[in-house]
Amino acid sequence: MRAVWQLWLQLWTRLPVLAVLAMLMCLTGLVLALIAMLDARVAYVGMGFVAFASWFWHIGLGQVLRGVCRPESFLLPGFRARLAWLGVADVAQWVLLPGVLLVLAGPPHGALIVAGLVVVAALGLALGCGRRVSLAIWAVFIAAGWMPRLASQVVTVALASPWTAPLLMLCAALLIRYALAPLLRIQDADTPTSPLENASIGRNSQSALDDAQARRGAWNRWLGELFDRAAQYALERSLQAYRRRPSAAGRLALVRRLLLPHDNPQALALRLVLVAGMVVIYFLAVMHRQHFDAAVVGAYAVLLTMARFPQLGRGMLRMRPNLADLYLTLAPATRGEYQKIMVDALMLLVPVSVLTALAYTLLGSVLAHAAEPARMLITAAIVATSASLVALAVHLIGPEGSFGRGAVNLVLIFGAMGAYWGGYWMLGAFGLAWGALALGTVTISFGGGVWYAAQREYQRRAPRFDAPLG
Amino acid sequence: MSAAELPLTLVDPIALPAAPVLHVQGLVKSFDKREVLRGVDWSVPAGRVIGLLGRNGAGKTTLLRCLLGLSPIDGGQVQLLGAPMTEPGGERMHRIGFVPQTFDLFPWMKVRAYLDFTAAFYARWDHALAARLLQGWELDPKQKIGQLSQGQRQKLAIVRAIAPQPDLLVLDEPVASLDPQARRAFMTELLELMRHPGKTVIFSTHITADLERAGADIALLRDGRIQFMRPLAELRERFVRAVLTRAEGWAEAPAMAGALKATVAGSELQMLLEDADPAVLRALAEHAGAELRVETPTLEDLFVELA
Repeated sequence: MRAVWQLWLQLWTRLPVLAVLAMLMCLTGLVLALIAMLDARVAYVGMGFVAFASWFWHIGLGQVLRGVCRPESFLLPGFRARLAWLGVADVAQWVLLPGVLLVLAGPPHGALIVAGLVVVAALGLALGCGRRVSLAIWAVFIAAGWMPRLASQVVTVALASPWTAPLLMLCAALLIRYALAPLLRIQDADTPTSPLENASIGRNSQSALDDAQARRGAWNRWLGELFDRAAQYALERSLQAYRRRPSAAGRLALVRRLLLPHDNPQALALRLVLVAGMVVIYFLAVMHRQHFDAAVVGAYAVLLTMARFPQLGRGMLRMRPNLADLYLTLAPATRGEYQKIMVDALMLLVPVSVLTALAYTLLGSVLAHAAEPARMLITAAIVATSASLVALAVHLIGPEGSFGRGAVNLVLIFGAMGAYWGGYWMLGAFGLAWGALALGTVTISFGGGVWYAAQREYQRRAPRFDAPLG
Repeated sequence: MSAAELPLTLVDPIALPAAPVLHVQGLVKSFDKREVLRGVDWSVPAGRVIGLLGRNGAGKTTLLRCLLGLSPIDGGQVQLLGAPMTEPGGERMHRIGFVPQTFDLFPWMKVRAYLDFTAAFYARWDHALAARLLQGWELDPKQKIGQLSQGQRQKLAIVRAIAPQPDLLVLDEPVASLDPQARRAFMTELLELMRHPGKTVIFSTHITADLERAGADIALLRDGRIQFMRPLAELRERFVRAVLTRAEGWAEAPAMAGALKATVAGSELQMLLEDADPAVLRALAEHAGAELRVETPTLEDLFVELA
């Protein structure tokens, strides 16, 4: 049992905050379930707490398993058997114990709630393992949005049917198998992708915990090949141009091709097409809501665009040892010159991000038949510009630790969302021209100021080539 | 060049003194369309140290990973400790230790936590040995693996592999990042381990001096196959380097039975010979009017010439 205990401890050592919070929520839920013996209605609230806790816990557990299930781990005697025992302990902790309390409390639909707890755990695990089951959940919402009356009838029948609980259990079993099978399969490692590669399209679904890559399926491999081909083509073109006419601009373009291999026109177009597919699914899901606000499209577009920058921060850290080679190749006269080249190369991300946000917003406004597409587009363009400048700045000189980065990313995202909604309101209140002028003055001057200060500070600092500490 | 074309014969598994710990038949492994292992046949008896030699990219790491089931194979069969190795599993895992070429696992774990985690899985874990090695090799148990240097990680991987007292130890270039002191200490531990009966070591390395020190049997991987496996002493007995020196130099190397390679450098002609007849060599020197010197090539010399 020592091995099972060691496996169980992994979540506590890797994600202690998540583990503690999830456990506290779970305990709250269990206490409420105990109280529910006096009042059965409290049981539902208690199980809600347990479900939430279970969701977070299993997302973390999935991420930990991604890191632990490397081929070498299978050389540990009885590794699979120990994993199975961990599963048993997990079921006891997150299903059986709440289930027993629920039975004692005796509210209606107890079996359904227990089955729901299993599904929640399975979904969390699958998400943590890097499987995109969220798309399957969306399919349910799409169907419910299209035919709300039918969905309501289905729910009513399901609540009464004795088959619902077994069906949910079956779904959970399938989900768990879908999530765990790739982790338990020993296969050759995929070729590592660039640490600066854009993760927002799911091409490079790395665990934020330890950069353990999710196992890629055939679709992702094919997609990866397309991106790699586009990167190779762009690099060759830049090389040809540089050979024809060597210049500082040509050299900068080459550095960009090296650092940001998938930020070339072809790859951007491909990414747009892929995201467009996801956006269409999303709109199918949300358009049927009664209170759907088309303006939210721009906020999501900015959010999607901002998702690029955390990866940049992590990638720059991981790239550091490799950048020594770039430094020697560029042979700059001073360290500041090298830092300036880096800053200039990464600056490409700002127009790329703005164009991406605009494209997503345009697509969304067309799909959602937005009443004021110009207002959305202008707001998205201004906010994406300033937010990209700030994000790039903080990831250049910001904190290196994962906690600090996480905090900065949260502030950035909330800040960008606040700026979008505030800006959208301003454009509505003062008109497009005056509103845009006011919004641009405030946000772009702020973003520009932050960027200017950050890049000065970055150029002042000595370049670092040491490997990040694990 | 295939095994048949080489001036050496493959080891006959039937003639081996002990039951094989490892038996490989027709092992094929490709990455995309690049075939790395092209039908490897190999048998490793118990109680021996095997030095697996091969040039960079010959497929040594791939072969070792395939043997342990860490890389899926495309064809052939692998039998490890008497059972087919389709996937690592079963009781025999208690008897296997492995040091990978690069240790990049679990960077978030502290050294102590990693060893505790690993020890929990093994029936036989020599805590005293692990503690002694940690102390001797100056590995801080409180340090995170991600903060260790490559050499320190390699030391940790060796501790982790030796501590379960394995019957079969598979080492993939274990000393590549070690300093001379650590390398010597590692070899001492390895030789100590080998003093126990029935222990087998498969050892991929480019540092041939270590194999000489361990008195290893040498297996050469080339062109996707094991070309031969021979005891080191036998290799030394059968191969000689003849150096013929004359003032006027050499326009070309004279033909000679058993000659594997000839190199002319100024007045010297160096020939690597297998099963050379000393009388024939003396006659050749006399006929050419040259001074003859016969040397025993080092393993490194042999590797350079044969690999």
